[in-house]
Amino acid sequence: MTDEITRWSEELARDPSSRVFLQLGDALRRKGQLDVAFKIAQRGVERHPNDPEGHDLLAHIAIARGDLARAGQAWEAVLRVAPDHAGAMKGLGYVCFQQRRFDDAERYLAQAAQNGAGRDVIAALETVRSRSATDTIATEDIAQSVDSRRLFADLLVDAGQTALLLDTEGYVLGGVYLDPDGTDVAEGVGAHLTGISEEVHRAMRRLDMGAWKSIVFETQVAVVAMAPAPSDALLIVAASRATPLGLLRRLMGQCSERVVEWMATNGRGTANGHRPGSRQ
Amino acid sequence: MNSPFEPVLDGLTRQRGVRASLIVSEKDGLVVDSKVRFGEQGDRLAALAASIFRKARLSARAAHLGAVSFLQLDAERGRICAVRRDDLVLVVVADAAANVGLIRVELLKALEQIQ
Repeated sequence: MTDEITRWSEELARDPSSRVFLQLGDALRRKGQLDVAFKIAQRGVERHPNDPEGHDLLAHIAIARGDLARAGQAWEAVLRVAPDHAGAMKGLGYVCFQQRRFDDAERYLAQAAQNGAGRDVIAALETVRSRSATDTIATEDIAQSVDSRRLFADLLVDAGQTALLLDTEGYVLGGVYLDPDGTDVAEGVGAHLTGISEEVHRAMRRLDMGAWKSIVFETQVAVVAMAPAPSDALLIVAASRATPLGLLRRLMGQCSERVVEWMATNGRGTANGHRPGSRQ
Repeated sequence: MNSPFEPVLDGLTRQRGVRASLIVSEKDGLVVDSKVRFGEQGDRLAALAASIFRKARLSARAAHLGAVSFLQLDAERGRICAVRRDDLVLVVVADAAANVGLIRVELLKALEQIQ
């Protein structure tokens, strides 16, 4: 990819009006060089204001930078020049969902589905509808204990941040795990992480490394942290790749405290998880 | 017999605080090559690193997060860092006080040398 980035950079330097900014900006985004990617996309959009893909690229980079408002503006710009752009509708659905504007999120996602967006939009739509319904229930009955899916909702302030609590068998105890399209993939993630806490605990003991404190991994678009939680549960927090590790650790600490409080006040244990494949 | 990975592992093991470096097959958790201090359990480390990396990779795939580029496990008395190319996972075991930023840089550099 580095060779291609060099080639595209040289091409853009030779011809600043080239549309190669789309490939270059996207490649830099994937490499996590978000500031440079954003500048290139911004210049590209200034030169090609009627190109929906330029605005779409800018929106994706803004999401990766955690700038939800800027992403929303960019996708609105896409729809001004290409009113049927399903990707922009999907993107605006994600932005509205993160901003808890569930009615708007549902409207955008429904439009995206009508305009031929993939099957994932249908799943996202279901998530928005269930989330919206959950909010209504919570409003109607505040005395009821905090809904487990919203366990970390007030702690997750930036786009791309998500948190999930799994029991020893990978069943979801609380929180949600939203992918970059806003779909809750908690059950799939839980299924793949089944038993990791116990496995690491056992290995650390045999390797004489003491108790394990955290596992952090970086991906192309996110940083994911895991830590042991009470009752042998596993806490998972993810944020955009642009998030500093120190900030992620702080968020993990806050989520850990929330888990302790929640388990204490709700008497929750591993038995309350739900199986991957079933919806709460 | 000299292993083609020896220079890479030597370079990593020379870093301050590093106790062991291994190249592991992610598929089966077997050691491909290693430099471990006396007392370190290479086979057990290899199996653990491969298993965690695989789980991280599959969960990242399920969440549409793209490829895992770096993994770090922190424990009370040590830390394990890992990167991956194809089926090979390059693993470093270090003291808890080791500079993980430096280790990360060296691991990513070393990854470029693995063919």
